[in-house]
Amino acid sequence: MLKIENVSKSFGNKKVVDNISICMDKPEVFGLLGTNGAGKTTTIRMLLGILKKDSGDITWNGKAVDRKKVNFGYLPEERGVYPKVKIIEQLKYFAELKGMSKDDAIKSINKWAKLLKVEEYLNMPAEKLSKGNQQKIQFLTAVIHDPELIVLDEPFSGLDPVNTEILKKVIIDLVKEGKYIIMSAHEMHTIEEFCTNVIILNKGKTVLKGNLRSIKESYPANRVLISTNDNISNIIKSLKLELENSVDNSYVIKIKDENDGYKLLDKVIKSNIKVNKFEIEKPTLNDIFIEKVGGKNE
Amino acid sequence: MNDMFVVAKFTLKDMLRRKAFIISTIIILLMIIIGCNIPNISKSFKGESVKAKILISDKNNIFENNLNMLSNDDNEIITDNLSIDEIKEKLLSNEIEEAVIVDKVDNNINFKYIVKNAMYMDGSPYIVDLLSNLYKEIQISKLNLSNEEVLSINPAFNYEIEQAEEEANGNVFVMMILSIVLFYAVYFCAFQVSSSITTEKTSKIIETLVTSTSPTNIVLGKTIGIGLAGLLQLILIILTAIFSVNMFLDSELVSSVLDMSSITIPLGLITLLYFILGYATYALLYALTGSTVSKPEDIQSANTPVAMITMIGFYISYFTMLNPSSNMNMIAGFIPISSPFCMPFRIMMGFANVNEVLISIGILLLTIFVISSITIKVYSNAILNYGSKMSFKDIVKMYKQK
Repeated sequence: MLKIENVSKSFGNKKVVDNISICMDKPEVFGLLGTNGAGKTTTIRMLLGILKKDSGDITWNGKAVDRKKVNFGYLPEERGVYPKVKIIEQLKYFAELKGMSKDDAIKSINKWAKLLKVEEYLNMPAEKLSKGNQQKIQFLTAVIHDPELIVLDEPFSGLDPVNTEILKKVIIDLVKEGKYIIMSAHEMHTIEEFCTNVIILNKGKTVLKGNLRSIKESYPANRVLISTNDNISNIIKSLKLELENSVDNSYVIKIKDENDGYKLLDKVIKSNIKVNKFEIEKPTLNDIFIEKVGGKNE
Repeated sequence: MNDMFVVAKFTLKDMLRRKAFIISTIIILLMIIIGCNIPNISKSFKGESVKAKILISDKNNIFENNLNMLSNDDNEIITDNLSIDEIKEKLLSNEIEEAVIVDKVDNNINFKYIVKNAMYMDGSPYIVDLLSNLYKEIQISKLNLSNEEVLSINPAFNYEIEQAEEEANGNVFVMMILSIVLFYAVYFCAFQVSSSITTEKTSKIIETLVTSTSPTNIVLGKTIGIGLAGLLQLILIILTAIFSVNMFLDSELVSSVLDMSSITIPLGLITLLYFILGYATYALLYALTGSTVSKPEDIQSANTPVAMITMIGFYISYFTMLNPSSNMNMIAGFIPISSPFCMPFRIMMGFANVNEVLISIGILLLTIFVISSITIKVYSNAILNYGSKMSFKDIVKMYKQK
């Protein structure tokens, strides 16, 4: 079980993490969200002992999180490889630093290289690899030693759709294997896809925390998707609803609650316009995020 | 401890693979081999003879056709009664190295010594001494004296040198060379530590590294790895030098210049120890400056203060070595920035007693301990600083930071 309790950190007079608490009691992907400068990376660095916290406790199964005591893997936001060194050499180096024997390291490298489809690059210097492949190598470095706790800071940034799918599958499998994963990401749909629990930070403070599904359920519906065989712009105007988007008589309309949606449907039907599709939507994580941090998601 | 050796092994392998390291080593080794072959090369250009050609013009036959007696392994005497202008022409066209015009006026014998450039001449030329002695011998032989009488007039003059100051045992020339080699080995090797640390920050690998092992293991592992690469290079240079000297140089010439008898195994070991301690001192200082920058273009300016300290250390040791019995040289043997270059020299010369050596090593070890603790502290706090080069004030702040 991972427990981060009332952790704070200041740089000079600026408090960058203010009394944050997180608890993970079962294998899952925990979402760490926030705008740039919200304190996500500082929280991760404190969790891994790269930065010293000013106050609070961070424990893994009751023990302080320490390189020597806890087997963790880390994919930092700042990607880095030794440009002139062969991939296999740098992977063996990090595996040895994580306490693996040479034979175990080679077995693990081969297994992960196959899963991540980077086998052909193992004997090449890192500088010859594309950015996406370098990123996969860094991910491999984070998981090579079979860690219990894995921290992924922006794992999908810079990956093409094919590689994103490969990595998604690997992350889902890791959770199935019982790994605890903390993931920071900007892409809200990715978080929605993976995370059971989330925390949203803004200027170092927690603005929202809990089970993602419950959070979304607690919000009223805020959007209607309607597709008709005639133009309904005048009806939308007459009901004083805000049109978010429209293409070929398919409309996305903002609503305050579900009743606004049903009123719209009623009026369209009474106007003898055929409805092809009607859907009332709960807010997305992106909507909630924007509402909570009071600005645009970067 | 294990992690430290993993870092050291990786760093050593990385260093040995670097093109710059391989090329610089090959160039140094080639320079040594070519340097030792210069006499052979010059022989092949000049033919077998490397004798200095000396022209002697003796119009009045004062030396009674005996001038060829002065020819030996070093000199080839050419006798020709040329005018001064003709002689100058031969000197300028490098046909001869020097010339003497001999003339007798009344009872005086005048020598006109002619050379291409007399700027660096100090005292009478050697050939003039040879001519004076030859003239005396010719005149004595005419007196029909017995051997005893000749010896009483012209005895063999033996001399030996005794100095008032404490006597040096070793060969100054060898140790001067060794000091310079030590300085370059320490300087260039230690510099690599700084560059290696900054490169890891530039390539952003540092964050993965510090979650894999401790800053102490990283700093000391790197220092050991690069030091081993430097040591291998140094050993290769020394072995090549020994091989080339024995293989290509005339053994008599070598023994006249270098007294190798004073180079013993214990002296070799103590020199190795001072190389390791000197390297560790400077490498850790360079590690400190390397951790204060994150851009390759800032490395040079960040390293300038350490480079200056290194130069000062070397020059203190070098200039005091010119007067090895002085107090200044003794003090230089204790100062940690100069002792690695100076102390092996003092030990070989027999100027440093056991206590002095132990104190000098103790001071160096203490210095290494202090610098390493400062460096590791600053490194730990500065590794995630990706901004511009840190000022001295920032470094102090980083050191004080928890």
